[in-house]
Amino acid sequence: MVKVTVDGTAVEVPDNANALEACRAAGVDVPHFCYHPRFSIVGQCRMCMVEIDGAPKVQASCTVPVRGGMVIRASSEKALAARNATMEFLLINHPLDCPICDQAGECQLQDNAVAGGLPVSRTSEPRRQFPGYDRTDIGPHVIADMTRCIQCTRCIRFCNEIAGTGELTFIERGGHTMVWTHEGHQLDNEWSACAADVCPVGALTTKEFRFRKRVWWLKKTASVCPGCEIGCNISIEHREQVVHRFLPRVNLGVNDFWMCDHGRFLAESLNGRDFLKPVVPDDFLKASEPDGRGRRETNWGEALGLVHEKLTAAKPAAVLAIGSANLSTEENWLLAELFGKTVGTPNVEFDADQGPLRRIRNPKAIGADGGFLKGTVAAPNARGAEAAGVRKASGESALGRLLTGSLVPDVLYVADAAFSARTADPAFVAKLRKAKFLVVHARTRSALTDVADVVLPVSGLTGKDGSFLNVQGRVQRFDVAFVPPPIVKTDLEVLLHLGQRFGVFETRWTTADVFGKLAATVPAYGGLAWDAPAVVGLPPSVSPAASYDVLRPPRTSVDDTDKLPAAAGKA
Amino acid sequence: MSAMWPAGYEPVLLARVSRPDSRSIDGYLADGGYASWKKVLAGIATGEWTPAKVTEMVKASALRGRGGAGFPCGLKWTFVPPKEKRGNKPVYLLCNADESEPGTFKDRVFIEKDPHQILEGMMLASFALGVKHAYLYIRGEMVHGAEILNAAVDEAYQKGLLGKNVLGSGIDLDITIHRGAGAYIGGEEPALTESLEEKRGHPRVKPPFPAVSGVWAAPTIVNNVETLCCVKHIVDRGADWFKGYGRNEKNTGPKLFCISGHVERPGVYEAPMGIPFMELLALAGGVKGGRKLKAVIPGGSSAPMLTAAEVANMPLDFDGVAAAKSMLGSAAIIVMDETADIPKAVTNISKFYAHESCGQCTPCREGTPWLNKMLKRLVNGQGKRQDIDLLLQISGQMGNGMTICVFADAAIAPVISGITKFRAEFEAYLAKAASPDFALSAPSDVTKKVAERMAEGIHC
Repeated sequence: MVKVTVDGTAVEVPDNANALEACRAAGVDVPHFCYHPRFSIVGQCRMCMVEIDGAPKVQASCTVPVRGGMVIRASSEKALAARNATMEFLLINHPLDCPICDQAGECQLQDNAVAGGLPVSRTSEPRRQFPGYDRTDIGPHVIADMTRCIQCTRCIRFCNEIAGTGELTFIERGGHTMVWTHEGHQLDNEWSACAADVCPVGALTTKEFRFRKRVWWLKKTASVCPGCEIGCNISIEHREQVVHRFLPRVNLGVNDFWMCDHGRFLAESLNGRDFLKPVVPDDFLKASEPDGRGRRETNWGEALGLVHEKLTAAKPAAVLAIGSANLSTEENWLLAELFGKTVGTPNVEFDADQGPLRRIRNPKAIGADGGFLKGTVAAPNARGAEAAGVRKASGESALGRLLTGSLVPDVLYVADAAFSARTADPAFVAKLRKAKFLVVHARTRSALTDVADVVLPVSGLTGKDGSFLNVQGRVQRFDVAFVPPPIVKTDLEVLLHLGQRFGVFETRWTTADVFGKLAATVPAYGGLAWDAPAVVGLPPSVSPAASYDVLRPPRTSVDDTDKLPAAAGKA
Repeated sequence: MSAMWPAGYEPVLLARVSRPDSRSIDGYLADGGYASWKKVLAGIATGEWTPAKVTEMVKASALRGRGGAGFPCGLKWTFVPPKEKRGNKPVYLLCNADESEPGTFKDRVFIEKDPHQILEGMMLASFALGVKHAYLYIRGEMVHGAEILNAAVDEAYQKGLLGKNVLGSGIDLDITIHRGAGAYIGGEEPALTESLEEKRGHPRVKPPFPAVSGVWAAPTIVNNVETLCCVKHIVDRGADWFKGYGRNEKNTGPKLFCISGHVERPGVYEAPMGIPFMELLALAGGVKGGRKLKAVIPGGSSAPMLTAAEVANMPLDFDGVAAAKSMLGSAAIIVMDETADIPKAVTNISKFYAHESCGQCTPCREGTPWLNKMLKRLVNGQGKRQDIDLLLQISGQMGNGMTICVFADAAIAPVISGITKFRAEFEAYLAKAASPDFALSAPSDVTKKVAERMAEGIHC
C-alpha cells in the first residue's frame, strides 16, 4: 500500500493502483471512458486528466502508476480545463440524438457532459456521419451505430482480453476511425452483449432491448441468473410487471462484471402467464369430454384440499414428489420435509438437464478452471436441491422406474412443470401421465400442464425470493422483482399451505424463516444466516458501463459463504 | 535531385551518392566501405573493440538523433537495461526509415543511393547494443527503396557481412527490411514498434519507453537512418573528428538539410551542423526569382514557422533553431517567399494532419479535422469573426500533454505560429468573407460535400 494525496485528502491505495483509482478511492470523481478495471490501460480517451505535482503537463490519471507521496490535483483549474477540452472534442461530432438513443439515462457521455461540459457549443461545422456504419447489425445480439462511438475501445478490449475472440477492431483512422468487426466476421461470441454493456455510449446496443423501455423507468431487482449452475448475479430490470432485460450485477467472486448471452436473453422467458387460478378435475366436464380430461378453475381451498385428500389416501411408497433445480433451496427443502417426513415417501427426487458448457471469465473465482468459471447443469440450483435433501433421480430411482413403467404412483407431485426440457416432449409427458393423480406447479402452459389433474399457479422467479447454491457452493439470494397477480402464489407459499393441511408448516412463515429452519437441519448450511448471503452480490448498479462504480469494500460475507462449497459438496 | 555542399567542404554523408555504382556492394567496398565493420569484428578477439567502446565513442561524439527530437544518441543507447535486469530478452535495433514528415527527403537519398552506408551503421550500432536481429522499418510508400535495401541486404549476406558468426568473429547478426503500411504516425517510436509487430501503428503510453520494453516487449533502440550513418563515420574517424563539425559541444557533426519551396535549387544539402540559415539559402540559389523571403518552416511541417526576420541570424542546429522558438526537427526547410499565402499553406498542412491522425486520443482525433474544416471554410470565403480566435483556442487545448504522443503538438504548431505571426493575412480572408457576422456553416449543398469527401479519399 502506498499513501497518496488527492485534492488534499490523504488516501492509501494498493501498490499497483493508478492515479485514477487513487482519485476514486479518495472519493474524487474523475470522469473517464476508456478505463475499465478489467481491461488493459490504453489512456486514449484523455478524459481523466489531472495534474500531478512534479509533472509539468497534465496527465491522463489512468496511465500514471501511483508512488508513495504522490500529490494528485484532480480539481485544479488546469485539470478541469483539460477535461472540459476533451469533453468539447467528444461532443463536436457526437449526434444530439439522446431522445431516440437507448443509452440515454445510463450514458457516461451524457452524465459527464451534464456534470462538467461546456454550456455552449463552439462548433458550426457539419457533424461527422458514418453512412453504412450506423444502426447496423454486427452480430446476433448487438447493433452498432458508429455516429455515437467515442472510440474508447472498451468493446475491442473486451473481445480481445475477456472473451478472447477478438472480433472487433478499429478501421480507418483519424476522424474517420470506427470500431467494426473484422472483415467477414460477426460479433458472435458467448458473451457478445457484454460488449454493449461496457460501451459508455449508445454505439453498441442490444437488439433485444432496443427501443423497449427508457432506462429510467426500469426498476432493478437483485437476482441470480436462472440459466445454469454458475449463478451469475444479475439485475432483473422490469416495469409494470414486465421483465425487459437482465444485466450482469457485479460479483467479484462469481461472474465478475460479465454474464453470457444465453443467460441474459432468458429475460423474456420470465414474461407470460397462462394460469391465474388453480385448475382441478371436474366430473361434469369429464363426462362431457371424450378424452376424459375435463378441468375447471377453482380456488386454492378446493385445489389444495383435493391434493391433501389424494396424498393422505395414497400409500406413501406410491407417492412421487419431483423437486427442481429451478426452485430455491428453501422450496426444495420444504418439499423434502413435507413429502419425505410427513407423507413418508422415500421418493423425493429432482432431475436437471445437462446443458451446453457455460463459461464466465473470472480467473480469481474459487473453482475457476483455466481462467473461467464453468457450468454444465442447465439450471441454477441443482446443488441446492441436493443439499436440501431432494435426491438426484437415476435409472433405479422412483422417477427412473416411472419412466420404465415399473412404478405407477398413486400421486405424482411435480413442483416445477419445467423441471427439465423433456417436459416439452409428449412421449416423456405420457410416461409421467401414467401416475394415477398428477399435480403440477406451473406459470405457463406446457405439454405437462395440459395433461395434469391439478395445476397450481405459481409466480416464477420474478415473484419470489429465496436462495440458490451455485456450482462453487456459494449461497446466493435473489429478491422479489414484483408481486404476482392476486391469488397466484409462490412455490414456497403453495408448499406452506399444503403443509399446513398436514399440520406441519405454518403459512405465516417467510422465506427467511424457512432458511433459518433449513440452516438448523442441513449441516452444510449450519451457521448461515439469511442476511449473510444477501450481500454477496452488489446492489444493481446504475449503469452497466459504469457498474464498477459500486465496488466498495468490505465484503467480508463473501468469505463467510466461500466456506460453504466443501461442506455442501460433502452433504 | 542532386546533392550539394558548401564550397571547400568535403562531404561525408553524401560523399558517395553521385557515383554511378553507389548502390552496389562492390562499389561500396571499393570506396573503403565496411572497413569499420571488419575492423571492429577483427578487434573483438584482441579485446581492442568492445561494445562499450563503440557506445563511448558515440557518446563522446555528442551525436544527436537526426530523426527530429535531437535526443543524444549515445545516452539513448545506455537506457537499455543491463543483462542482469532484462534476463533472456534480446535487444532489438530498429532503423527508422519511415520518413514521412512533409518536406523531408534526406533518408531517401541514403536508401536509394547509398544503402550500404545505412547497413554498416546498423551493424556497428547492433554490435554496440548486443543486437542479434536488427530491423529497418521503411515507409510503406517507398517501394523502390525497399527493393534496393533488400538487394543490399542480400549482397551483404553473400559477402558474409551478415548472418551467423560474421567473418569468424562469433557475432551473429541478421537484418530484416520491413515495409510500413503507409502512415505518418508509423515513424513515432512506440507506433513503429506496434506496426513492426503487425498491429495498428498506434502510439502507446510511455513509460515504458521502447528502450525498456519495445518490440515484442524486449528492449528496443530506435534510430533514424541519418543517425546510424553518422555512427558509421564516427567509428571510421573517431569522436573528435565528428566534434570538429558544429558550432558548439552540443551540436556536432555533418548534417543533411532538405530545402524545398521557393528556392532556386531545392534539394538535399550537406553542411556542418550550425551553418547559418542565410548561407544555406544562398547555397540553394537564394529565394526563387529573387523575390523577398517571407516565412520559413525550419524542421518539417511540425515545426512552428518563422518570419524572415527571425531566420536572418539563425544558425541551423538543434539549439539554434530552438532559440528561435521552433525546432530543427528533420532539418526539412520549407522556404516561402512573398507570394506565399500563409492561410492557404496552414490549411494545406492542417489537412495533412487531419488525414494522418491515428484516431486514438480524443483531442487529436476530433481536433485535427476541426481545425482543417475551420481553415478550409476561412480560405473559401466562409469565415466568421470568431474563427481566428477559436482556431487558437482549439489548438491550445489539443497539445501540451493532452494526447499520448506529440502528433497533436505537431499539428497545432503551424496553426498557432501561422496565425500569431501572420494574423493580418487571416483577417484579410475574413474581410473578403461573404458574411462574417452570420453563423454561416460550410456549404450545405450535398453534392458539393460528397465531392469534397471523395476528394479527401474518404470512403464512406
